[in-house]
Amino acid sequence: MFIALRDLTFAKGRFLLMATVVALIAFLLTILSGLSTGLIRNNISALMALDISHIAFEYNDKPSYRNSMVDREMWEGWREHPSVIDTQPLGHTMFNARTKDDLPLNEVVLWGIEPGSFLEPAVNRGEQLGRLENGVVIASKLVEKGIDIGDVLILDRILTELEVIGVTDEHYIGHVPVIYTLLPKWQEATYGPPGGPPPGEKLPSILFDYASVIALQIKPDTLPGELQTTDEDLGTITIDKTAAYEASTGYVEEVRTVQMIQVFLFVISAVVMGAFFSVWTLQRTKEIGLVKALGASNIYLLKDSLGQVLLLMIGATVIGTLGAIQVGRLMEGSGFPYLLVPETVTFSAVILIIAGLFGSALSLRLILKIDPIIALGREQ
Amino acid sequence: MSLIVENVQLVLGKSNQRVIVLDDVSLNLKPSSLTAVVGPSGAGKSSLLAVCGGLRTPTGGRVSIDGVVISDLTKAARTRIRRDRIGFVFQQSNLVPALTAIDQLLLLVHLQGRRPTKMDRQRALALLDEVGISNLMDRRPNQLSGGEQQRVGIARALMTNPDILLVDEPTSMLDQVRGQQIVELLATECREHKVATLMVTHDHSMLESATEVLNIVDGRLSVGRFANREKLL
Repeated sequence: MFIALRDLTFAKGRFLLMATVVALIAFLLTILSGLSTGLIRNNISALMALDISHIAFEYNDKPSYRNSMVDREMWEGWREHPSVIDTQPLGHTMFNARTKDDLPLNEVVLWGIEPGSFLEPAVNRGEQLGRLENGVVIASKLVEKGIDIGDVLILDRILTELEVIGVTDEHYIGHVPVIYTLLPKWQEATYGPPGGPPPGEKLPSILFDYASVIALQIKPDTLPGELQTTDEDLGTITIDKTAAYEASTGYVEEVRTVQMIQVFLFVISAVVMGAFFSVWTLQRTKEIGLVKALGASNIYLLKDSLGQVLLLMIGATVIGTLGAIQVGRLMEGSGFPYLLVPETVTFSAVILIIAGLFGSALSLRLILKIDPIIALGREQ
Repeated sequence: MSLIVENVQLVLGKSNQRVIVLDDVSLNLKPSSLTAVVGPSGAGKSSLLAVCGGLRTPTGGRVSIDGVVISDLTKAARTRIRRDRIGFVFQQSNLVPALTAIDQLLLLVHLQGRRPTKMDRQRALALLDEVGISNLMDRRPNQLSGGEQQRVGIARALMTNPDILLVDEPTSMLDQVRGQQIVELLATECREHKVATLMVTHDHSMLESATEVLNIVDGRLSVGRFANREKLL
């Protein structure tokens, strides 16, 4: 690093320019990382919060929460599977809703669950499900829209009335806030006639034998083949929790888009670093030849150059990342789907540094090729 | 400590484009001697330096330092020989641009895989003092004149206590007076440090300080008319 460190101060203009480019890429990557995590949270946070290992959908090549419909026979069939610890039906329907005072909520997702089951969310304020037949626990995002405990929500078209009894965390699915209600109320809202059953009448009991998916807690050492037989017998398709995220609307597309931009930035970083250090090495050809003629081994020069790249990449990445973290803090509180997670920020910063080192490998090849004889000037 | 060149031949190019650059060249450099090789451009002066410094492998013959045949060594071994036993003085401006005068000397300590000690620093300062520029130790090459740069180059070449000093056109970028001063300085350093020195130049006016002068024409070496063998210590 003897020459490398002195080069950094001697050619500070050039290195500052390069560091600025890397810092900007690191800045953008960190912002994207926050956006990516924020989008993921905004899409599947309700699923992430579930204490489950798998979800069984009605059989379909592309399982989705919206199109899946399972019956009692299916979830009771799964309950008897020797590898299943517990199982619960889960109802999922998207509605437009408003308050009784006509405050529009746009879209909400109504999840029907059994009270006291492992699907029930922790309540931050108010009470758990169970006391009121039409009680609902709402995601905290709806509180920001002006809804609170005691308010009555009306589902559009079917006119089902639901009373807010509790508030849980920011639970979303497909960027839509989730409202938890009792499974029978969900079944009534989803399969029953608008406005509920006529006075004095009950809905046909068969309506209460259906849900959207089956949430499963399966023993960790269960082999996929063991689940497949039951899937075939019951007409379901069971996927693990992480794969089940992909069944959420738009999740795969969003994640892939952000990942593609991130990959492009890594590639751009590698190319920019490769180009810069190649030009830098070419400009220093005579100097490197001279140092080789004086007795520098290739290992010494490679260490020196790699150290220089590493120093530049680490310094610029740290500056760019810290800058983005500061900007990110402002964004987190401004309603953007933005969330910085230390692990993902560190991961993208490390990958950026590795990409820079990878790109600069081209210049290392140039160093190896330089013949020390050029130090004598006239003979090449 | 001596450098012996025996019947060295260097052929460059292939088939009908082959050029004999050095043809049956032999010489023997002894400690404290300053051997000057003069000749026109393209005569083979730089090639002779390259072969002696292990920068080129001769096509035939051998080059040895103290019995070690460097022309038979691997690239890495020749690099170590250059680092530890040979000092190079190049043409003006062949200094590392980012390094100050004293760092140019301390670089050689780093190349040996050591961190410079206080003693290394003192030696570097003493050498800069010997060549008369210790007051410019913190200046970079772009802050030094041509003569000052060449003095740094000489001090750098002596930093590792080499047995052999190979000097390439030390006065090519200097005026007559400064060139003369540099060659005299080289002769003095060569005597004081008991280094066997080979200097190639095309400038006949710089040969007064040499203990031996050889001519090179078309790759062939012959004793020159400026031979001053009586000066050999």
